[in-house]
Amino acid sequence: MYKVQSMRIFRSIAALVFSIIAVTLSGCEQQTFDKLTLTGSSTLAPLVMELGQAFEKRNPGTRIDVQTGGSSRGIADTRAGLASIGMVSRSLKSSENDLFSHTIAFDGITPIINKANPIKALNDQQIIAIYTGKIKNWQAVGGPDQAITVVNKAEGRSTLELFLKHFQLDNRDITADVIIGDNQQGIKTIAGNPWAIGYVSIGSAEYEERRGSPIKLLGIGGVKASTTAVKQGNYPLSRSLNLVTLGTPQGLTQSFIEFTQSPQAAAIVEQHYFIPIDAN
Amino acid sequence: MVSNIKSKYAANELNLNKAKFKHNIIALAIWSTALLTVSLPLMMLWTIGVEGFPQLSLQFLLTEPTHAGRSGGILPMLISTLWILCICLVTVVPIGLGCALYLSECVTADSTIGRIVGLSLDVLSGVPSIVFGLFGYAVFAIQLGLGFSILSGGLSLACMVLPLFIRTTEQALRACPTAYRRAAEALDLSLFAFVARILLPSAASNIAIAFIISTGRALAETAVLIFTAGYVTRIPSHWSDSGRALSVHIYDLSMNVPGGQPNAAATAVVLMLLIIVINLVAHRLSKRWQLLE
Repeated sequence: MYKVQSMRIFRSIAALVFSIIAVTLSGCEQQTFDKLTLTGSSTLAPLVMELGQAFEKRNPGTRIDVQTGGSSRGIADTRAGLASIGMVSRSLKSSENDLFSHTIAFDGITPIINKANPIKALNDQQIIAIYTGKIKNWQAVGGPDQAITVVNKAEGRSTLELFLKHFQLDNRDITADVIIGDNQQGIKTIAGNPWAIGYVSIGSAEYEERRGSPIKLLGIGGVKASTTAVKQGNYPLSRSLNLVTLGTPQGLTQSFIEFTQSPQAAAIVEQHYFIPIDAN
Repeated sequence: MVSNIKSKYAANELNLNKAKFKHNIIALAIWSTALLTVSLPLMMLWTIGVEGFPQLSLQFLLTEPTHAGRSGGILPMLISTLWILCICLVTVVPIGLGCALYLSECVTADSTIGRIVGLSLDVLSGVPSIVFGLFGYAVFAIQLGLGFSILSGGLSLACMVLPLFIRTTEQALRACPTAYRRAAEALDLSLFAFVARILLPSAASNIAIAFIISTGRALAETAVLIFTAGYVTRIPSHWSDSGRALSVHIYDLSMNVPGGQPNAAATAVVLMLLIIVINLVAHRLSKRWQLLE
């Protein structure tokens, strides 16, 4: 009995091994491609991936590989040579002067609250007080008697850095109830909690609001949060979305960056709810 | 006297009622926990199914994604996932089987070496998967220069699955009846002959189950793969290409892509069905092999 059974099992294992070898060998006839690797900001990754696909179609024989992991990783990987281009969703800091930055789009950040919350606007002082834990109840800013759930971004996210810089805050001063990573996660958190406040990219917030998510965009300093306001350049809390390189770009790197800044790319940029550079 | 007996009866009855009541409460509690456990996967299927099923079609399985995954299908992700799985299992099975044989045949569980290996396996299986992801990124992708590739991903995944496979295989091997071992010794069979002719065939069905459990664990993994196998949504043509796994695709669609939720749910349905099918196959195979014995 064991013989029959083991024969069956070993036969199926042999079949598996052979099929794996067949698959592997068939993969070995690799074509040579001009390959470009990008890593970095998870905000930029879906956009750049689509730009890459459009670029590949226009330039047969090229490959644009897009990886993700956050702006800081984009900078580290570009420095280490693991990627030819890093994606960074903020301006470079003075400590990052060794890199060259190429802006491909703009984005604004807006505080958001749940639609059920009657608050219409918050000024900068109120936002600072809420984020530093000095105001813990919506009543203090003219709302109902409900505790405020403060949603903050995780360390290393460029939205966090931009937010802190604008309000001149230090991350250690912030008393957050929830720490989130991505924009979509932030929107889902606010949509699920009527008394939460957070901040996310205007583009995704506008899109989700139109799609029926119960969120409200608050704006900053009396300026209404909208992609139009960012486009016109009068929205205070906005950021540039950049590709960074070690040294001046050449060859494929150069032609890809040029493509991402071209008018052909602008349509794709807008589909991702960002603002193209030549839109002003 | 009579009243005394009567009150005793009453007290007994009261105790009996109390016991019955207690029994019922406990039974109810046990039933409701069981019901909760059953309803949890059903609820999960329901929530992703409601959103995902309308998107699901043969077209969805057989086309490439467009608009960052908001439309189009998941063919490249399916192929990448299978590739990563292949590399993972090809690495795990020989190493894992060897280690499990060593643990079950060459050392006793309470010897020093047995304890050290056992402890390190238990520690490894308790390590969060993101740690394996960062390890794979640092070692396979950067130090060994494999970059973001199916190979890096498969090997990192293998590191994570290995302890699970070794432990389950070891149990399968230890389940071999002592009588077989004694008979082998009485016949003066060499260790090799015993392992090849008696131990492995008799444990084969359970080893196959260990294999399938590991497959399921590997299929569900996201954190290990996002920094190793990567993010590229192209059909891989070589194991040095980067390829996005199904789980990474779900994560990215629901977290980074505005409007990616419906396709994320549909992909989740596909992944769940894949895992359910693998579990059913495992169940059927183990039953059939038990009948053969």
